[in-house]
Amino acid sequence: MGERIEVTLTVNQRKRRAQVEPRLLLVDYLRHELGLKGTHVGCEQGACGACTVLLDGRTARSCLHFVAALDGAQIRTVEDVAPSPELLHPIQQAFHRQHALQCGYCTPGFVMTTLELLAGNPDPSQTAIRRALTNNLCRCTGYANIVKAVTAAGKALREGSQA
Amino acid sequence: MSARPARYVGQEILRREDDYLLRGEGRFVDDLPAPIGTLHLAFVLSPHAHARILSLDADAALALEGVVAVLSGADMAALVKPIVAEIEFPGYRRHGRQVIAKDEVRFVGEAVAVVAAECPYVAQDAAELVEVAYQQLPAVVRLEDATRPGQPQVHDEVPGNLYFEGRFATPGIDAAFAGAAHVIRERFRSGRVGGVPLEPRGCLAVPEHGDGMVFHSSTQVPHLLRTALAQYTGQPESSLRVLVPEVGGGFGTKAQIYPEEFVCVALARRFRRAVKWIQDRREELLTDIHARDHLYEVEAAVDDTGLVLGLRASVWTNGGAYSTLPFGCTLETTGGARMIVGPYGITQYAYEARAVATHTTPAGAYRGVAQPTCYMAIEGVMDRIARRLGLDPAEVRLRNMVPTASLPWTNVVGVRYDTGSFVESLRQAMAMIDYAGFRARQPADRLVDGKYRGIGICSFTEVSGTGAPGWRARGLVRLPGFDSGIVKVEPTGKVTAFVSHAHSGQGHYTTFAQVVADALGCELADVRIVEGDTAATPYGTNTFASRSAVTGGGAFIRAAGKVREKLRRIGAHMLEASVEDVVVQDGRVHIAGVPGHGLSFQQVAETAYAMNTATLPEGESFGLEDSDFYDPPLVTMANAAHIAQVAVDAEDGRVTIERYVVVHDCGRIINPMIVDGQIQGGVAQGIGEALMEEMVYDDSGQMLNASLLEYLLPTAADVPNYEIAHIESPSIDTVGGFKGVGEGGVIGAVPAVLNAVADALSRLDININTKPLRPSLLARLIREARARPG
Ligand code: FES
Ligand code: FES
Repeated sequence: MGERIEVTLTVNQRKRRAQVEPRLLLVDYLRHELGLKGTHVGCEQGACGACTVLLDGRTARSCLHFVAALDGAQIRTVEDVAPSPELLHPIQQAFHRQHALQCGYCTPGFVMTTLELLAGNPDPSQTAIRRALTNNLCRCTGYANIVKAVTAAGKALREGSQA
Repeated sequence: MSARPARYVGQEILRREDDYLLRGEGRFVDDLPAPIGTLHLAFVLSPHAHARILSLDADAALALEGVVAVLSGADMAALVKPIVAEIEFPGYRRHGRQVIAKDEVRFVGEAVAVVAAECPYVAQDAAELVEVAYQQLPAVVRLEDATRPGQPQVHDEVPGNLYFEGRFATPGIDAAFAGAAHVIRERFRSGRVGGVPLEPRGCLAVPEHGDGMVFHSSTQVPHLLRTALAQYTGQPESSLRVLVPEVGGGFGTKAQIYPEEFVCVALARRFRRAVKWIQDRREELLTDIHARDHLYEVEAAVDDTGLVLGLRASVWTNGGAYSTLPFGCTLETTGGARMIVGPYGITQYAYEARAVATHTTPAGAYRGVAQPTCYMAIEGVMDRIARRLGLDPAEVRLRNMVPTASLPWTNVVGVRYDTGSFVESLRQAMAMIDYAGFRARQPADRLVDGKYRGIGICSFTEVSGTGAPGWRARGLVRLPGFDSGIVKVEPTGKVTAFVSHAHSGQGHYTTFAQVVADALGCELADVRIVEGDTAATPYGTNTFASRSAVTGGGAFIRAAGKVREKLRRIGAHMLEASVEDVVVQDGRVHIAGVPGHGLSFQQVAETAYAMNTATLPEGESFGLEDSDFYDPPLVTMANAAHIAQVAVDAEDGRVTIERYVVVHDCGRIINPMIVDGQIQGGVAQGIGEALMEEMVYDDSGQMLNASLLEYLLPTAADVPNYEIAHIESPSIDTVGGFKGVGEGGVIGAVPAVLNAVADALSRLDININTKPLRPSLLARLIREARARPG
């Protein structure tokens, strides 16, 4: 559809150059052009948070960003969270141990939100956790176990336990 | 059931599903690789609730590069037969639905055309270019209006817009009312909501060689879907394989079979190309089944002690524009009418139940089905009895409950409660929340620190694991009731177990493995569960209505039991022992009491598969697998008590849930962690339903909030920490003793929250008989009440 825009951005620590249509959304670029299917789409309106990624270290709804405007940006998705195929990140481990996911559709978004929260506030209060988590909707878990997981992950990260 | 101690069942075992989901490696339907050349669909939706389609002009759409076809209702009618929900119940009026509307549209969002294009964006663009001329017709939207004379008719086959009308009465009902000291009457109105799973629906049909077809769908009912697709599209069932990818939440919404699925398969057959469709959120909210648009008019005949002598209920449900497969439009109606007596020993009962047709989204099965609303009614009545007679609401409930000593009990509509803990659950919940202390501290005006504070109870029975007789009793003649399992010990001794279910977040890979490992006598790590693939798994009724633990668990126990016996027979033969002396335990087949003297599963399996020099016992067959089905009784009845403690802000009407206690009894528990997760998620949905969620229609039939910015779901800030305890009263009627738990959370939360708000506002003389209780509504009611003189 006519005009294309050239952008260079970093996705999960890899430099990417892309010629994109102006209307190409970040979430579609990640999912359909890079095959990073862990970023999910729940509403395409910025309401659900399933598409949450880190954009220059801050959570962003990838359904609301046009790639054309992201020249030079650093993007991190859920695929770049676990340290290895064998190990999970402490946040992911905490979600597992606290049964903080059921269908798992919202989960990548919650993991990204938790990354941002704990990076800025290593020991958040329950209220601060709940407030941060309003960034994301979950229809399965009722949130209590997610709050527990974030609490446990904060503790694990503070204690430097990677196990 | 044997008396073998369980090794895994009952344990809090972490889920196998988590690792891949946490890494973003879950493969949901939109994540599946689509073959090159896949056609993408976009549907053209009716903007009118009721209109005649005059013409359809697809020229501009077809002119777009990449558009392959635009099909109208008439085009699709040549490919797919009209869908008819086959309910056989006196008083039900059958009607059909074209997968794409042909002449007339009956709700906003009904598809009038479908575009097939090379890419999803082009399909979307083209859908916007399809020009449809409509003649708008008057619509009937509200349940209250549907059967009034002179209203627009939704279907010719459904005169007076009455889909269904049913009646029941015990002979002594009139006498019970005639002799009653008090009659309590109330009208309860429940707002319409939806399941709203975080992942919208989608499907991908891929033609294979010959007439084969693989159909991926985000469904809860792969086997029922396959049969329906075959029945309506002509695709031979035997060459159709339904595969269920990860499913991002279902809650019943994805247990219906939808028009898009038929269209996908029909067009893949027609074009001999893969066809994919992914729903967007607006379509999800407009076209996935809605629920709970209900009205209950209830009267209770009560004596001076608060005992209910008789109950009359008039149940109205809004069925929307069509009856949907597989449950039709009467599930909520018959459910509400049949379940309302709950844990109470009510022996005189009468109901009138009606499902009406309107020009709104079809109604269907959403988690809890009619139970959140019928308990809104009966639990609301219990509170009103207490208020009228000056009794405590908990005391009124306890007086009316069927005591444990009277179980098994067959209720007034013929449903058997085999085991349970109605009284114990409520008492334990009261102790956990310090009910007596709360009441003692609660001031008469309920005002503490500027907020109205109240406490609300819901005691209930929870229908789960429905068998064939249960579905027949509600006219659902094409819903089987049973589920099936195959348990297979492979030549290497590993175990693969196949089940007719399909998960959407319930953790089946973990819980079913626990059941199989115990029933077979092997290590948990050696069991792998396969589901959601009709080519691999045996037929069954699939996953909705809190079925999987009961029906899948039962089927696996039976199938694994047969394999275990075969392991024993072959093992005994190899060990030159008699079968009676051989046991299967911890993955070994050995002489009882002498674990060292035995064989690994692999050694026995090699004999079974003729991969060594040993011989099989005389007459024994090759292989090491068996299958069985399990059809539970009428229903399997779980029970619970929920108590919510709330604060209502006197100024802005906002409700805060300060404490929330659940005591649940789902019989024998497979995995307590997963059970708690089901309850927590359900309670959150119930809080949403009680306080914020509602599909709002205007009088012309437009849905005003078809987006997640306007249809509010609860967030982490809206829900409390849940305090949950369990009582285990194993079922004596089911194989395994399991009862379901999938719906209890939402069932209990809706009435408990409403009753707590009602209690908080009770001194203001505010009648809480509707939901949702949005802040704006409560703020207005409080303002008006305070302005009232006196
Ligand atoms: S898909 Fe981006 S916020 Fe919902
Ligand atoms: S786990 Fe299903 S939406 Fe959160």
